[in-house]
Amino acid sequence: MSATATKLNPLPMARPVAPSKAKYLWAEFGGLVLIVLCVYAVNAKWERLLEAPAAIANYIPLMLSGVLQNPFEQPITEYWTTSFDFMMQSLAMAWVGTVIGAMLSLPVGFLAATNVAPAPVVFVARQILNGIRAVPDVILAIVIMVPIFGLGPLAGTLAIGIGSIGTLGKLTSEAIEGIDKGPVEALRASGAGPVQVLRWGVWPQVAPEIVAFWLYRFEVNIRASAILGVVGAGGIGSLLSRVFNMRDWERIGIALVVIIVVTIIVDQISGAIRHRIISGSSKTSTPVAM
Amino acid sequence: MTSASVATRPAKPRANWGARALIVLAVVVTIVGGIAIQFDLRPLLFDGGRGWFIVSEFLDPNWAFLLRTIDPWLVTFSIAVLATAAGSVIALVVSMFASMVTARNRVVYQVTKAVMSVLRSLPDIAWGLLFVAFVGVGPLAGILALIFFNVGIVAKLTAETIDAVELGPLEAADAAGASGLQRAFAAVVPQILPNYLSYVMYTFELNVRASVVIGIVGGGGIGSTIIVELARFNYDNLSAIIILLFVIVFLIDIASRWIRKRLIG
Repeated sequence: MSATATKLNPLPMARPVAPSKAKYLWAEFGGLVLIVLCVYAVNAKWERLLEAPAAIANYIPLMLSGVLQNPFEQPITEYWTTSFDFMMQSLAMAWVGTVIGAMLSLPVGFLAATNVAPAPVVFVARQILNGIRAVPDVILAIVIMVPIFGLGPLAGTLAIGIGSIGTLGKLTSEAIEGIDKGPVEALRASGAGPVQVLRWGVWPQVAPEIVAFWLYRFEVNIRASAILGVVGAGGIGSLLSRVFNMRDWERIGIALVVIIVVTIIVDQISGAIRHRIISGSSKTSTPVAM
Repeated sequence: MTSASVATRPAKPRANWGARALIVLAVVVTIVGGIAIQFDLRPLLFDGGRGWFIVSEFLDPNWAFLLRTIDPWLVTFSIAVLATAAGSVIALVVSMFASMVTARNRVVYQVTKAVMSVLRSLPDIAWGLLFVAFVGVGPLAGILALIFFNVGIVAKLTAETIDAVELGPLEAADAAGASGLQRAFAAVVPQILPNYLSYVMYTFELNVRASVVIGIVGGGGIGSTIIVELARFNYDNLSAIIILLFVIVFLIDIASRWIRKRLIG
C-alpha cells in the first residue's frame, strides 16, 4: 500500500499517527469498574433472572386472554369501558396540567432569558427552573399536592402542571435567546415600550417553537398522568395498581393495551400538529397572526 | 412625484381561521378537562388544617435519618447505572434496525419502529409494576423495568442520528466488501458515537429519577424507603430524603456535563 502511494506521489508521505486511544480506554475501564461495583452494591436476586422467562411466558398469555376475549360479553365489556374512562381522566389531567405549566412557564421563561431580563433576575429564575426539574412529578404529588388537595385527579393535575414549568421554562428561555434582533431594534427605533417590544418583536418569533414545546410536553405528561394514580393522584394509574395488586391478569392486559393505544394515537396527532406549526403551511407562506 | 421613495404599506396578513379554530378548540378542551378532574384551587386557601401541617413538617427535615438511607441510595444509584449500561448496549444494536440507512430490509425496519413506539408508550411505573409481578419485589425488577424503558428512548434517538450520517464511509465499507456488522462498526458507530454517548448520559440522568419512582412500586432502593416513611407519616424523614434527591440530581447533572465534554470535546 505505502509503496504504491510513494510511487504515485513524488513526496514521500508518512502514515499519519493514529489518534491516541488512551482517553477511550480509560473511559471503558472506568465504566467496567463502575459496573462491577454496582453489581456488587445492588445485591439483587440474580437467580430470579433465570426464572423470569418462564414467568413472562406464563403471564403474557394470561394478559392476552383478556384482550382477545369477545369484548361485547360481560364482564369483558366493563373492563374495557372502565379502563377507557380512567384513561380519559388521565388525558384530561395531562392536558389541563400542560395548560397550567405552559401559562406559568411563559413569564418565568421570559425572566430566564438573558436578552430580556437583567442578570440577577435571570439567575434567580434559572435556579427556580433547575429546582423544579430535579423533582419527579410523582414525588411532587406525594409531598405537596396529595396532602393539600387530597387524593384524586386534581392533585395529579397540579403536580403535572408545576412539574412542567421546569423544562418548559428552560426551553422557552432558550428559544427567546435565539431570536433575531432586527425586529426588536426596529420596534425600539419606532418608539415601542418594553411590553410592546415583547409582544410584537419577541413573541411572534418564538410562538411557533414554544407552542410546539407545549405539545411535546403534553405527550410527556400523558405518560406522567398514567402513573400518578399509583400514589393516589387519579387517572389510569389507580386502576393499574389495583389490578396489579389483585394479580388480575386479564384486566392488567386490557388496561395496558388501552394505555398503549391511546398514547400512540394522541402522540401521532400531537406530533402532526407540531410539524405543521414548526414547518408552516405547505400551501401559503403568509405570516400567521396569532 | 416622490413615488420612488414612498413605500406602499405592506398588506395586513390575512387572519388565519384554521389557527383560530385550533385555539378555540384548545380552550374548550381545557374547560371540559378541568370539569372532568374537578379543578378547584380553594383547598390552597381554605384548608387550614391537615395539608399545611404536612407542608410545615416538610420544612423541618430530620437530617439524622439520612445516615440510615445510605444503603438504599447506593442501590438506587446501582440500579440506574446497570440499567443504563444494559439498556444502551441493547439500544445501539436495535437502532441499527430502526434506521433506513443501516436496515436493508423494509419489513424489519417497520417492525422495529412499531415495537419501539409501543415500548415508549408505557410509562416507567407501568414497567415497574410488570416486572415486580414477573420477578418479585426487589432491585432486579427495577433494573429490568428500566432496561425496557430505556431501550425505547435511546434506540429512537440513536436511529434518528443514524438517519443523518454521512453516506460516504458506508459506501466505502460496501465497496470493500464489508458485512452488515462490519459496516455498522466501521462506518456508522464512529460517526454517531458522540451523540450516542450524550443520549446515554441523558438516559442515566433520567434513570436516577425513574429508579426512585420505580422503587415506590417495589423496584427496590430509596423509592421503597420513601413509601415506607410515607405510610408511617414520617414527613420530616421524607423531607430530608427529597432534599438529598435534589442535591444528588444536581451533582449528577454537573458530572454528566463534565464527562460529556471530556468525551466529545
